[in-house]
Amino acid sequence: MLIEMPSVLPILVILIPTGAAVLIYALGRLSGQLREAIAVIGAAGAFIVSLAIGYTALHGAVLTSVGKQLYADPLSALLVTLVSFVGLMATLYSLKYMGHQVHEGDLPHTTTSGRLTAFYGWLMLFIATMLWACVSNNIIMLYVAVEASTIASGLLVAFYWDKRSLEAGYKYLMLLTVGITFSLFGCVLVYAAGAGILGGSKGLLLSELKPIAGRFPATTVALASAFLIVGFGTKAGIAPFHPWLPDAHAEAPTPVSALLSGVMLKVAIYALARTVSLFYPDFPPIAMFALGLGLFTLVLGDLMALVQDDLKRMLAYSSVSQMGYVLMGFGIGTQLGISAGLFHMVNHALAKSLLFLAAGAVIYSTGVRHISQLGGLAKRMPVTSFCFFAGALAISGIPPFNGFQSKLALFVAGANAGAWIAVIIGVATSLVTVVVALRAARSIFWGKTIEGVGGSTIREAPASVCAAMVVLAVLCLAIGIYPRALYTPLKAASETLQTIRVTRPETLVRENTCTKYRLPAELRQ
Amino acid sequence: MTEISRELVHTLSLLMIFTSFAAVEARNLRHATLAYLAQALLICGLLVAYSVGNEALLYWAATALVTKAILVPWFLWRSTSGAEQETKPAIGFGVSAVLLIALLLIMYKFTHVHAGLFITVTGGLAALAKTNLAVAFTVFVLGLYAILTRRDAVKTVIGLCLLENGVHLSLVSLAPSIKETALAGIATEVVVTVYLLLYIIGGIRQKFGTTDTFQLSELHW
Repeated sequence: MLIEMPSVLPILVILIPTGAAVLIYALGRLSGQLREAIAVIGAAGAFIVSLAIGYTALHGAVLTSVGKQLYADPLSALLVTLVSFVGLMATLYSLKYMGHQVHEGDLPHTTTSGRLTAFYGWLMLFIATMLWACVSNNIIMLYVAVEASTIASGLLVAFYWDKRSLEAGYKYLMLLTVGITFSLFGCVLVYAAGAGILGGSKGLLLSELKPIAGRFPATTVALASAFLIVGFGTKAGIAPFHPWLPDAHAEAPTPVSALLSGVMLKVAIYALARTVSLFYPDFPPIAMFALGLGLFTLVLGDLMALVQDDLKRMLAYSSVSQMGYVLMGFGIGTQLGISAGLFHMVNHALAKSLLFLAAGAVIYSTGVRHISQLGGLAKRMPVTSFCFFAGALAISGIPPFNGFQSKLALFVAGANAGAWIAVIIGVATSLVTVVVALRAARSIFWGKTIEGVGGSTIREAPASVCAAMVVLAVLCLAIGIYPRALYTPLKAASETLQTIRVTRPETLVRENTCTKYRLPAELRQ
Repeated sequence: MTEISRELVHTLSLLMIFTSFAAVEARNLRHATLAYLAQALLICGLLVAYSVGNEALLYWAATALVTKAILVPWFLWRSTSGAEQETKPAIGFGVSAVLLIALLLIMYKFTHVHAGLFITVTGGLAALAKTNLAVAFTVFVLGLYAILTRRDAVKTVIGLCLLENGVHLSLVSLAPSIKETALAGIATEVVVTVYLLLYIIGGIRQKFGTTDTFQLSELHW
């Protein structure tokens, strides 16, 4: 039983990085160290507040602010912790990395200091808007926050201001805004139906809509779900609405790529789950549709990743595929399916951020991003090599890394729900992921040294760059070895979403002939 | 709402479709901007006409006036300085006009027939809401058409503005009691998005020497 409790924490978690952004714009040009200190304090402050929100959520409290407009339940707590943690890692990574990437005279009429001030300012706003989306209880403001995160990251995608990044920035802003506008239509339809029953502004609150969504007319539900899936699905990189993703993720500065792939996609799928799952108990075909879309996404993403030579594009397509797994979990629709989807969402956030940061370290040291032009870096970059392999094994679902645990949970959930075709497709695609990730890792770090690429001058990336990667790599390993640590928050988070009703008695723990994997007590219904 | 107000709303609603058509089909970007400006003023007029009995809509009208009728057209006008002629679209004028009229008629008719499923108001206002919703969806689809068929990046931004106008208009029928804060959030985002898009398009014009989206081919599959 969750108890609602007024608190300032949901506001603080948004205000701290926003305030940091304002301070950076005001004072950032005075000193580089001051600018970086404000950014680190802003990101770290948001993370500390997120931990406090997470702690209270685990103890059965839902924190509310501004008349329940902001609402931090266990699912929001999980998301804000994830976003602020990856945000902090990306900020720490940026300290050395961005200084190396920006040079005086790159752009006319712009100084290095001015560009870096803009970078850190937008970075803080990007983190703040994602956190806002995670705690928004107002369905229209949820749309506003998700779109605000697009706006905040638009100039970050185009940051290098060359032909490639400008093209990526244009596509990113245009396609995402069009997509997200569909979700606004969906939100408005849900609100209109909800307001008709609840009356007044109560129809805006997701927490109030949850118990009455079953009374909505079927036509409204069908149309609203379609709009919401297209809208938030575009932002989440769900196929076939994903074409913006590889361009934006590949052309943005690496710390931004890590945030885009690591957490922004998760915020979008969170918005999708929050809204569409309202209709799960009474309109189960929506879950089936989500499952189909998830399977299509995971297969297409992996096949596209298989043919990429550009390291960052390969990772971007791999993100499309992994988002397919998350959607598969939500599409299975049972509590175990949703728990597994959330588990994979967390694991992918950590592993993909790690991979992007490691790819950035490779680019930092060699100046090259094509896999075929890289080779034999393991001896010169041992830390990056270890971290990249850790990330590659994690997204491939190889034990003892975290991806193994969440993929196994997904497949068990699918099997329990009788979705055998989904399980078979998921397992087969996972094998392709192994090929994609490990082939790239082997080629870059163990392959033959390519002459002329950096030569003997190649060195390991700086300590602050490596530190962020090592923390993420250790977490991937730690969760893989001891997944139980996440079961309680995952169970609490999954219980805040509506699940489909199953007609046959479902035991989430089943020892059958196909799997002897026994789920721990924390995840049982 | 009085009979005159209803007639006024019907007339303004239908004029919205004509301005959308003009904004999509005008080959001169400044003419298209003016058509968009006219549409923004029509939205303000519509909101004022609807505000009889719901004064909160006057606040909407003021927001729309500042964001849609002043800021966005100003940004568009500035960005077309020295490059007023649109890059030749993917579909020629004749075919495009026929397609657009067909799309317009189908969308309007289809939505008008089915709009009743989503409308919460009853009585005399229901017919008005149906027209409003039909116009909103039609403007939305015309905006989408512009984005999909126009090669000029600035024209795609105008298409995006039409798309947003369609959604904005639908709020009047679907969510007339929506809070002002939510509305201000939506309106502000449109302005900021348009500004940033035009800023990036300015960079594209510098680097590529054109705003023809077909020339943006640095990134491949």
